[in-house]
Amino acid sequence: MNQKTTDFVLDHPRLIFLVVLLLTLATAALIPLIQIDTDPENMLPESQSERVFHNTVKQRFNLHDMIVVGAVNGSAQGIYNPESLQALLSVANQIEQIKGVIDYDLMALSHVDNIVQEGPGTIRFEWLMKKPPQDQESADLLASYVDRLPLLNNTLVSADHKATSIYVPIADKNESHRISQDIQRIIDSVKSPDDYHITGLPVAEDTFGYQMFVQMGISAPLAGLMIFLLMWYFFKNLKFIAAPMIVAMSTVIVVMGAMIGMGYTVHIMSSMIAIFLMPIAVVDSIHIMSEFVEKYQPGANRRSVIKEVIADLFKPMLFTSITSSVGFFSLMLTPIPPVQVFGAFVGFGIILAFVLTIVFIPAYLIVLKESSLSSLQDIHHSRSRLSGAIKKLGQFSVANSWAVTAFFVVVMAISVWGIMKIQINDNPVRWFKQDHPIRVADQVLNEHFAGTYDAYLVLSSNQQDVQTDFEQQLTAVQSDRLSQWSAGADPSLGFKEQLDDWMNRAEDELFDATSDEQISQLEDLIGQLEVAQQQLAYFKSPSGLQQLIDLQQALADSGLVGKSNSLADVVRTVNRELQGGDAEQFRLPATQAGVAQTLLQYQSSHRPHDLWHFVTQDYSETVIWVQLTSGDNQDMTAVVDYLDEHIANEPVLAELDINWAGKTFLNKVWQEEMVAGMGMSLLSAFVVVFVMMVLLFRSLLFGLLAMLPLTLTISFIYGLIGWLGKDYDMPIAVLSALTLGLSVDFAIHFIQRARDLFAEHQDFAVTMKLMFAEPAAAISKNAVVIAIGFTPLLFAPLVPYITVGFFLATIMAVSALVTLMMLPAMLKILNKWTLR
Amino acid sequence: MKTILMILMFVSAMSNAASGTDVAMIIERANLASFYAGDDGRSDARMIIVDAKDNKQMRQFVILRKDLEDGGDQRFLVVFSRPSDVKNTVFLVHKKVAEEDDRWLYLPALDLEKRISASDNRTSFVGSDFFYEDVSGRNTGYDEHQLVKEDEQYFYLTSTPKDPDSVEFAEYSMHIDKATFLPMLIEYRDQQGDVYRRVEVVEVADVQGHATVMKSKVSNLKTGGYTLLEFRRPAYDLGMEDDVFTIRSLRNPPKNWLNAQ
Repeated sequence: MNQKTTDFVLDHPRLIFLVVLLLTLATAALIPLIQIDTDPENMLPESQSERVFHNTVKQRFNLHDMIVVGAVNGSAQGIYNPESLQALLSVANQIEQIKGVIDYDLMALSHVDNIVQEGPGTIRFEWLMKKPPQDQESADLLASYVDRLPLLNNTLVSADHKATSIYVPIADKNESHRISQDIQRIIDSVKSPDDYHITGLPVAEDTFGYQMFVQMGISAPLAGLMIFLLMWYFFKNLKFIAAPMIVAMSTVIVVMGAMIGMGYTVHIMSSMIAIFLMPIAVVDSIHIMSEFVEKYQPGANRRSVIKEVIADLFKPMLFTSITSSVGFFSLMLTPIPPVQVFGAFVGFGIILAFVLTIVFIPAYLIVLKESSLSSLQDIHHSRSRLSGAIKKLGQFSVANSWAVTAFFVVVMAISVWGIMKIQINDNPVRWFKQDHPIRVADQVLNEHFAGTYDAYLVLSSNQQDVQTDFEQQLTAVQSDRLSQWSAGADPSLGFKEQLDDWMNRAEDELFDATSDEQISQLEDLIGQLEVAQQQLAYFKSPSGLQQLIDLQQALADSGLVGKSNSLADVVRTVNRELQGGDAEQFRLPATQAGVAQTLLQYQSSHRPHDLWHFVTQDYSETVIWVQLTSGDNQDMTAVVDYLDEHIANEPVLAELDINWAGKTFLNKVWQEEMVAGMGMSLLSAFVVVFVMMVLLFRSLLFGLLAMLPLTLTISFIYGLIGWLGKDYDMPIAVLSALTLGLSVDFAIHFIQRARDLFAEHQDFAVTMKLMFAEPAAAISKNAVVIAIGFTPLLFAPLVPYITVGFFLATIMAVSALVTLMMLPAMLKILNKWTLR
Repeated sequence: MKTILMILMFVSAMSNAASGTDVAMIIERANLASFYAGDDGRSDARMIIVDAKDNKQMRQFVILRKDLEDGGDQRFLVVFSRPSDVKNTVFLVHKKVAEEDDRWLYLPALDLEKRISASDNRTSFVGSDFFYEDVSGRNTGYDEHQLVKEDEQYFYLTSTPKDPDSVEFAEYSMHIDKATFLPMLIEYRDQQGDVYRRVEVVEVADVQGHATVMKSKVSNLKTGGYTLLEFRRPAYDLGMEDDVFTIRSLRNPPKNWLNAQ
């Protein structure tokens, strides 16, 4: 069949060029539709329960994405001096004016309320810092105020008084880049003795998006250039190597265009598609061209040489393309959408590259002028320096087959040991390089404050018992009235909403009621509704609030969190001031009414809406805002595990529904999904590739042999990661499955060629000698192309790219080496059963 | 006597309006119409605080008022009845034109009587979108007022604060009804000139000859929330005693005045 295809291609080269050109142009036209997605949240599917819950919580408690601006003053005096505070006020007031900033939720010393004692029996409510202090004395007074306010202390001003922060809530995180630039301009225009830093997840994400463009715009073309230079080194013929470059370019353009055209956003993973496809796409061409160069003599029938080369290489190329794509397709088994998209389109790209190679390269070679090919005669790549080293390597392996095998067994054992030491961890802020301003800000601010990483512990009280109680207490008349009221109402309303609805009806009727009987009836009903509402309002009760305090204490005791803030802190602070301000008054009122009246005071402030960041309006759900100094998944996991254990040991907490939300928590979730998903995809890719190997070689033993080098390589790499103490993070996780698909190529070519040669010569020694001439050289050449093709990633601005570049290059080199050492050794040892 | 004076002033205000009214007079009349009807008064009140997601909170209270002087100092007593957990919470205010108001608070569950001092009057009234100042009346001398235009129905005024640092708005505009002198619409603008807060009169009724706001609404255009304030059973000139408005009433609110008259 492929004969016919090749004939057709050779007969209609111009048609092939036209089709490839049109396909490329058509897909290229879709690329401008590109949409960048930098939201780490999208690592989880939109329907993922934790993500849905996180967003519900965000909505319910009006939690916005925050840019964090920090000012640090290293002097002994710290941040509490008139000059620093004057600057802070000016910066905060200007930030408030920026379009897109949710000004009423902005948090800064100048934008929050203070509650203080003003002589006996009098309390004073005022802006904490409406005007900047004029002298040191008033600055110190301000310090003493903040130290008394647990919600602000170590959140708005660090405990060491060296730093202060402005939390800037923004309506749309896609605007964070512009807003953070505006903030920077404001900071630059204000004279301040302090160092200002801007951080926060929205800024990180946005900067990330920008860096992704840089990567795609620089690293991918660089990879192209690198491959071009390598091929120039191998073939020294411009017109000749233009063909694989065209194949690589078309592949990248078609795949990116198709992906963008199908509406997929470009995420950190898919931004690497180009750089992945480029080296892989030229590999098949290199095989064809190497073989062509070997076989072609001037004046020979070019057509028959091409047909011969294609016939020789079709099967191994098809299989290596399929195995490589299987490695990438297996990524679709991970539950991480960006990884799935990446896997799907790189897999598709590899198949496309194979097809393009099969049709385009022959068409190109056939139309090439005779003179253009003349220089190829000087190249005989089996004579290169690389080949000399490879040859020695092969001889060594065959001569010391048992020693080589023993060596690999030891390496394997050490690798497995290393794998056990692997630390699973990730942190999107660490995707930036160490000296990036965001990393610096992150480090500086978390040194001073209780943490800029947020997680939310969400508690819901049990409603079922309240509902049952309420229904049992109703008289028949009341029941009737309620069902009458409910008749027209939305049947999907929950009990809480129903209560509200009934209450409003009852209030309305009572407000207008005239007869005494009517009034007393309604008042009875309202009384009962209120009892139910009070019972639902569990977090208005002292016992409910006490549970918050206990949980916060547990979090503090764990030593894992910087600080936590809750409704209980609000209530205790206001209560203390109402009761005269002494430290021992920092406690909960004795009754629910006491709490309600305390909160009524809190709400009589400039920022009444602040309350609803902590509790729902019915007080049945509440949030403990947990600040962490580290965004590492590992640290979040430790907190979650610690609390799980604590909850399990506290029977009272079993009554409550306790869940986590917040970006730091979501990161932990997708990290875990990733690890589990990668295990799955690695396993399935392994099985699929193994089955394919058995089918290809029609031999279980050869199938196993083909899997050996890559098994060792992957184990070695992950063992190395374990020993080096490098965190197993997203890029590292993705590597496993895809290297499997790439590195098996070497084994396929090696075994296929070895068997062919053995069939021809029927002698093991001769086979090995010949193997380490042309075939081993081609294998190592390919390894070099792929390895070097990925090295431009080392210059990328973001750490994950660098990691991928470094490890892929290493993996290619190691796996080629292992293939060329291990397979000869194993073939020799298993001589009796293999090559005979 | 007082009513006659009012009518005289009202008529004079009307005639002035026709011939380019003095702004100060309009403001004065609006202040009286909004906050000084009768010598004293009471009303049941209910606030429904609605947020952007349609969550509702309710506050129900009785408000008692006695004027010491029209357009001058006043006394207010606010006694909460619902939600039941804040029942009998009491605010007492001695509003003073020339100086800072005196304010007291009683929280029954804590059995706590407190004097309150506030840096400004633009804090939320018990968590609603109304400011303390919206309920007690903003001192007319705090702003520069300008009559922008008038038509058959309204005077259109724009006011700017004399001390911009003390308030969150850059300016506000009022539509003052020519017939009743009630400001039917007040819109507050920020530094950018955008309206972010709106106070509307929704319903007016005649009570003992006084055009009385029965329902008003404050919208916070930033948060998307709003608060409805409804009055029921208002009554004026009841002859309330002075001692209704002393701190003794904090613990023992005057039951007879709390009930509808």
